[in-house]
Amino acid sequence: MTDPGASWPEILLTFTRLGLISFGGANLAEIERVLVGQRHWITSETLASGFALGQIMPGPNMLAMTHYGFAAGGWAGAAAATLGFYGPTALLSAAAALAWRGLLRWKRLPSIRSALLPLGGGVLLAGVLVLSRGSVQNVTGAVIGAAVLGALIGL
Amino acid sequence: MSAPAPPPAPHLPSPVAVTHTDLLRVFAGVAMAGIGGGLPAHMRRAALERAWMTELDFAESFTLAQLTPGPNAVNLAAMIGARLRGWTGALATVVGVLTPGLIAMLGMTVVTLGLPGGLPAPLQSGLRGAACAALAVMLTAALPVLRVVGDLRGGWVLALATFAGIGLLRLNLLPVVAVVVGAGLILHRPGPQERP
Repeated sequence: MTDPGASWPEILLTFTRLGLISFGGANLAEIERVLVGQRHWITSETLASGFALGQIMPGPNMLAMTHYGFAAGGWAGAAAATLGFYGPTALLSAAAALAWRGLLRWKRLPSIRSALLPLGGGVLLAGVLVLSRGSVQNVTGAVIGAAVLGALIGL
Repeated sequence: MSAPAPPPAPHLPSPVAVTHTDLLRVFAGVAMAGIGGGLPAHMRRAALERAWMTELDFAESFTLAQLTPGPNAVNLAAMIGARLRGWTGALATVVGVLTPGLIAMLGMTVVTLGLPGGLPAPLQSGLRGAACAALAVMLTAALPVLRVVGDLRGGWVLALATFAGIGLLRLNLLPVVAVVVGAGLILHRPGPQERP
C-alpha cells in the first residue's frame, strides 16, 4: 500500500540520500529497496511505470523521482523529491567543475586528465551497450537506430 | 553575479559571449531534443556548435561528471554551466535541463497515477522506439570522445577495460575507477625532465 501522507522534510531527506549514493547512473536497486520495501511510499507497479515515464519525458531519465515524490506526498512531495535528488548533487558537480578550473595552472593536472579521460570514453561506450540491451529488441528498433545515426552523421 | 576571473589557460573558451538566458534557453532545448535519452550527446552538440567548448573540454567535463555522485546528465549540465558562467551558470543549465521534463512529468503523473495495469500499450511501444533513436544519439557522442582518448598513451586499452568492466561484466563503478585511473596515473606520471 502507498501512504500518501509522507511529510515533505522526510521526503527531502530520503531523496537527497538517494541522489548522493547513486554513482554512474541511478541506483535503481537501492531506490526500490527504500521507497517500496522500507518506506512503503510507492508500490512496485508505481516504480516501474514511473521509470518508464521518465524514459519518454524530455530531459533526464530520472525525472521518475518526481513521479515517486508526488505518489508519496502530493505536490509538496514532488517538489521535495526533485529538490532533494537533483539539488545537492548538482551543487557538488558545479563545485567540482570550478575547483578543476582553479587547478588548471597546476603542473600535475595534464597527467591526471590523461589518466581520467579513458574512463569517460569507456563509460560512454558502456552506456551505448546498456541502451542497446534495453531498446533494440527487433528489426524495427535496429532500423530506427540506424536511420537516426545516419541522419546525425550526415548532418 | 559572475564568477571570479578565471586564470588564463590555453583551452578555456571565452565566457564573455554566453549569457544566463542563453544557457537556460539552450539547455531547455537540449532537454526537448533528448526525449528517450542521449542527453550528454545533445549537450555536446549544443556546446560545440556554439563554440562554447572544445572537444577536449567536453570529454573532460563528461568524465568529471561520472565521478561526482548523482544523476550524470544533470551533473554534466551543472559542470558545463559552472565552466561557462560560474555558480549562477550552473543554476541556469540545471533549471533549463529540468524544466520541460518537470512540467511534462507532473502532467503525466496527475493523469496516470493510479491507472490500473500501469501505462497504456501505445505509450510503451512509443517509448521503445525513442530508446532506439537515443542509442544512435549516444554513439555520436561516444565516437568523438573516443577519438580524443585514442590520442593518449594507453588510452584505447584503458577505455576498453572500462567498457568491459562496466558494460560487459557489470562491475561496480568505484573499483573500475580505482584500477583504470591508477593505471593511467602510472602511465602518465611526469618524466624526470618535467619535474620542477
